[in-house]
Amino acid sequence: MYRALYTAASGMETQQLNLENVANNLANASTAGFRRRRLQFQDLVYQNLVMPGAASTQQTTFPTGLQIGLGARTAASEIIQAQGDFNTTGNPLDLTIQGQGFFQVQLPTGEVAYTRSGAFHLDSTGIIVNSDGNQLQPAITIPASATNITIGTDGTVSVTLPGQQQAQQVGSIQLATFPNPGGLNSVGGNLSLETTASGNPIVGTPGGSEGLGTILQGSLENSNVDVVGEFIQMILAQRSYEANSRVVHAADQMFQTINGLTS
Amino acid sequence: MDSGFYSTFTGFSTRLDALEVVANNLANANTTGYKAQVSFYRAMPAWLQESLTTPLNQVVNRFGVLGGAQLDLTPGNLEKTENPTDVALQGAGFFNVQTKAGVRFTRDGNFQLNAKRQLVTGTGDPVLGEQGPLQIPSGQITISEDGTISVDGGVVAKLKVTEFVSATDLKPEGNSYFASKSAGKLSPDPRVMQGSLETSNANPVKATVSLIELQRTAQMMEKALSIFHNEFNKTAAQDLPRD
Repeated sequence: MYRALYTAASGMETQQLNLENVANNLANASTAGFRRRRLQFQDLVYQNLVMPGAASTQQTTFPTGLQIGLGARTAASEIIQAQGDFNTTGNPLDLTIQGQGFFQVQLPTGEVAYTRSGAFHLDSTGIIVNSDGNQLQPAITIPASATNITIGTDGTVSVTLPGQQQAQQVGSIQLATFPNPGGLNSVGGNLSLETTASGNPIVGTPGGSEGLGTILQGSLENSNVDVVGEFIQMILAQRSYEANSRVVHAADQMFQTINGLTS
Repeated sequence: MDSGFYSTFTGFSTRLDALEVVANNLANANTTGYKAQVSFYRAMPAWLQESLTTPLNQVVNRFGVLGGAQLDLTPGNLEKTENPTDVALQGAGFFNVQTKAGVRFTRDGNFQLNAKRQLVTGTGDPVLGEQGPLQIPSGQITISEDGTISVDGGVVAKLKVTEFVSATDLKPEGNSYFASKSAGKLSPDPRVMQGSLETSNANPVKATVSLIELQRTAQMMEKALSIFHNEFNKTAAQDLPRD
């Protein structure tokens, strides 16, 4: 009898999560390499009051059943893998991946994390690290005397040393991809970790046949958050929340009516 | 005695059931591929065979109950997501999903690849192609308008889209799945849109209007009930001449 109340509450709960997700997407609208998430809603189970096909008389059956659904739930938050825009910075260690690959960085725990954010720097020993100081894998050291760093579309890193005409290759960046990139575990700091859902990483040279994509030096990938789309999602969440709260109100009034019947 | 009282009460509790249908539609206003339910009422003769002979008695004992909730199969809107494994169906038809309980049907095309690169639903059940579960090699996935899946230009498989003659064959089961008592037939001309999802077709305006209507009719029933209860019964119990 109180089903309507709980159904409406489940609707309000999903819309609240929806708004929280919109808030996180909007908060990261300027985070380089950020991938927006989209909540995936599903209907809950149904109660069968009349089974479709049940006998209405000895000769006939009900063509349509009476099934009352019990609301909605949030099934998952899916990472939208669409490519973000490029932002040219001119910084030689700002890299963008054109394709579906991820940079690999080593965490202090020794674990490898994956990121789309290509804002790299040099540490005190000349090793390429990300903004948090985690080393890019495989590790590449840039000699302190290098005057120029060039990174090719296939990830080849070469430097020009003073007094030399020829550029010298010092390493090569490799990218990773996953059977199911949507199954990665986001851990903050623009980093993701592999899970059993994502599958094992497939590591290769950029531009190869694995669909890793190519590297573009001197630019960063913007967040793929679409601010207008998020605003629309926000309005939808707000209005659906309101509509569900009206159901709570209507159900409450009907119950009040029942309670008032004997007076 | 007082069959009007019971008849009105049945009407009242029917409105509560109808409210639950509206509540579920509104709760699923953002559920991908959700199909709204439309409830309808049915008169139920509340008498045993031949026990009520006069037409008047038959009329007052015909209770209005909720007959059923029919699926509204009108298409929802398309929402662009740009995910290559998100698909929306335009026009009739349902995707086929292999669940533990058997083949289920869905309009929710929010598919993903699992670690084995099988195309699965959000719940993790494999989506069926015309030749069974879909294994997608790595590469650029393209899904054409007729549901043909190709990777880097090479055709891999075709999504199975099933049509049903009547919506009454389908029974919602939750998780955006429908069960069907008939097998349906292969859609001759499916129209699949890659990178989009079909939004819920639950209409918040319609739902809000039915909420008001249900609330007001419930109030009318209450009024009728209180007339039976207070006016008629009181008169019968107190005001009739006693000996």
